[in-house]
Amino acid sequence: MSEVRETPVTPPKDLRDLFTGFVWIGARSFGGVMPWAYRTMVEERRWLTHADFTETIGLCQFLPGPNIGNASIVLGKRWFGLSGSIVAFLGLMALPFIWVLGLFMVYSDLSSNLTLKAIVTGVGAAGAGLFIGTAVKLGRPLAKKPAALVLIAACFVLVALARVSLLVVVPVGLGISLIAARRGWL
Amino acid sequence: MSLVELGLYFALLSLVSVGGLPSVMPEMQRYVVDVKGWLTPSDFIQAFAVGQAAPGPNVLIASLIGWKVAGLPGAFVALGSICFPAAVIAWWVAELWDRFKDSPWRKAIQRAIAPIVVGMILSGGVVLATPGTPDWRLWLIAAIAAAGMLATKLNPLWLLAAGGILGALLL
Repeated sequence: MSEVRETPVTPPKDLRDLFTGFVWIGARSFGGVMPWAYRTMVEERRWLTHADFTETIGLCQFLPGPNIGNASIVLGKRWFGLSGSIVAFLGLMALPFIWVLGLFMVYSDLSSNLTLKAIVTGVGAAGAGLFIGTAVKLGRPLAKKPAALVLIAACFVLVALARVSLLVVVPVGLGISLIAARRGWL
Repeated sequence: MSLVELGLYFALLSLVSVGGLPSVMPEMQRYVVDVKGWLTPSDFIQAFAVGQAAPGPNVLIASLIGWKVAGLPGAFVALGSICFPAAVIAWWVAELWDRFKDSPWRKAIQRAIAPIVVGMILSGGVVLATPGTPDWRLWLIAAIAAAGMLATKLNPLWLLAAGGILGALLL
């Protein structure tokens, strides 16, 4: 890690380099994109320092939209402006889009097989569990703040149990949360 | 018609998708399954499962939902509309964000978003583990995957595979 940080970084040479880099990220990203994005951009191609990467992902995590998709927009813009954003985003999505549709087509043909259906449903439940695990991980630093726990619980009751629309819960929740944050409760 | 409705609704969702796709999964399910009836609860969890198991950003699950609703055009429209509004925001905000590095508002916004994101992602997990009527077997699989993720550094693919095996045994 320390060697990586000391090596000087150079932005992608041209749009082609940017495109192939993001294609390479998307192509390998079994089990989550972030580790592959780090490996490609920080360790292999040395486009970014560790600190730059962390900072950019930190920003993208709380913007709306897919984190890594946002990162492709932000980094593409930094290096090549609008065409950089478009090229990075399309490079990132191109192969996974084909993979996922292909896999789904194959699955749809076979889904009358009940065992396969049970397996895939099990995978779905495990995927749901990964979300719960992610929430716990992100929530740990908030555990000592009562206001944060109240907000989390309120979101959960409204969204998961009462099934209120996110289009209502998110704006109202963010408004209340922002007031709480400005008062130093969060 | 459903293609236009789907596109517009996903574009709206894109604007409130803080925390990424996991946050909007409960709302996608509510809309396409409960409100519109385009997919059955079982279709939905299966599209989700395939999207999780395939490589790539998990936002691609949106394209599978679009595919089920309206075929290939649906896949493109769903993915484009869930990404585009958020991408426009990312494009504009990135620079502003650097400029306001030391502003107290920036710190307040960061702190304010965290609990909302946690609440949404938690809801996403619970809603996805409860397609249709509550089923303890799906909750058990979800609980094992969550525990495995928190207790180990395994690639999540292994946890998904374990879920598949448990699914074959239990369901």
